[in-house]
Amino acid sequence: MNPDGLDSPAAQPSWNRRVNTDKTAERPLDRDAELMLRVREGDQTSFRLLLERHRGPVIHFVYRMVQNQAVAEELAQEVFLRVYRFRDNYEPTAKFTTWLFRIATHLALNWIRDKRHEKLQDSLDQETADGVTRQVPDRSRTVEQELVYRAKLREVRQAIESLPAKQRAAVMMHKYEELEYSQIANVLSCSESAVKSLLFRAYESLRGRLAHMA
Amino acid sequence: MECSLKAGVADELVAGYTARTLDSQTETDFARHLGGCESCRELLARQQAVWSALDAWRPQELSPDFDQRLFQRIAEQEQTVWWRRLFQPRWAWAPALPVAAACAVLVAAFVLKDAWQTEAPSHSQPKARIEQQVVHALDDMDMLSQIGVDAVVERPGSPEKL
Repeated sequence: MNPDGLDSPAAQPSWNRRVNTDKTAERPLDRDAELMLRVREGDQTSFRLLLERHRGPVIHFVYRMVQNQAVAEELAQEVFLRVYRFRDNYEPTAKFTTWLFRIATHLALNWIRDKRHEKLQDSLDQETADGVTRQVPDRSRTVEQELVYRAKLREVRQAIESLPAKQRAAVMMHKYEELEYSQIANVLSCSESAVKSLLFRAYESLRGRLAHMA
Repeated sequence: MECSLKAGVADELVAGYTARTLDSQTETDFARHLGGCESCRELLARQQAVWSALDAWRPQELSPDFDQRLFQRIAEQEQTVWWRRLFQPRWAWAPALPVAAACAVLVAAFVLKDAWQTEAPSHSQPKARIEQQVVHALDDMDMLSQIGVDAVVERPGSPEKL
């Protein structure tokens, strides 16, 4: 007898019965895609609405990728510039966020690739201090708690920075942007199984570095 | 005790369970599995620690002028001079430019060739005309001899003429 009591077909665990987890094909046109189609027709207000909805997630995603606030904002500007520039070519074949994060990921990965050998990235100390001071202040923390928090944040950032760029992108999209595997696969132009492999290897590395922080 | 899950499945379920992205049935099934599987419980605890650590990395404050800078750049982009627009991909004839250039070269080659051919005879014209005159003179002499008229060479001091 299986200890889970899962011997009979009817009692098979649901993960064994899953065939296809990709739900994007059946999804109706999302709100963002509708807005983007209006942008394509020349509606500036719809572009402002899209910017309002996605400005934060895009900047935060790029920031966590490149770990430099100024660069993140510059790249995020380029993302929205490209969205606007390519509005005529937009086709709602996939979720708008998939298209948006594909542009953002492309720019971030290119930046990381170009700067890898230049060591141009701000020193982590300097940027950590900048990052903490620019974060929404939590006035409930004591000085001691603040110091502990900064040390913890530094460790998290170093752990993320140690990941290969593509694994980092997959984790950022999965953890912070809550994209589905199929969407991440679409963004990274790979299969769902490749995304899972990237993610699980990344989480394994992170567990090795961060699990003690529980 | 050994985990009954296949390789990779435990990772996916632990990640989904932590992120709360499993459907309710799968979540219930996995919760039951966790009750009897120590290795999955341990994996889950470590994954939850990672999740909690990543939560500490909260969003940054954005620059207040982000939108303003963006719309300024969009306006600059829209004011692109017309000749740069010509080379943008939306202009379907842009790829035809090399072909047009090649055609222009061919037309120029034909024009130059014709001009050379019309000018070339003008240089050899006197020589050809002299040859033609000699031929005509010989023909005339033949004709005169056939009709019995001999050419008399005019000598100085001689009153006779032809």
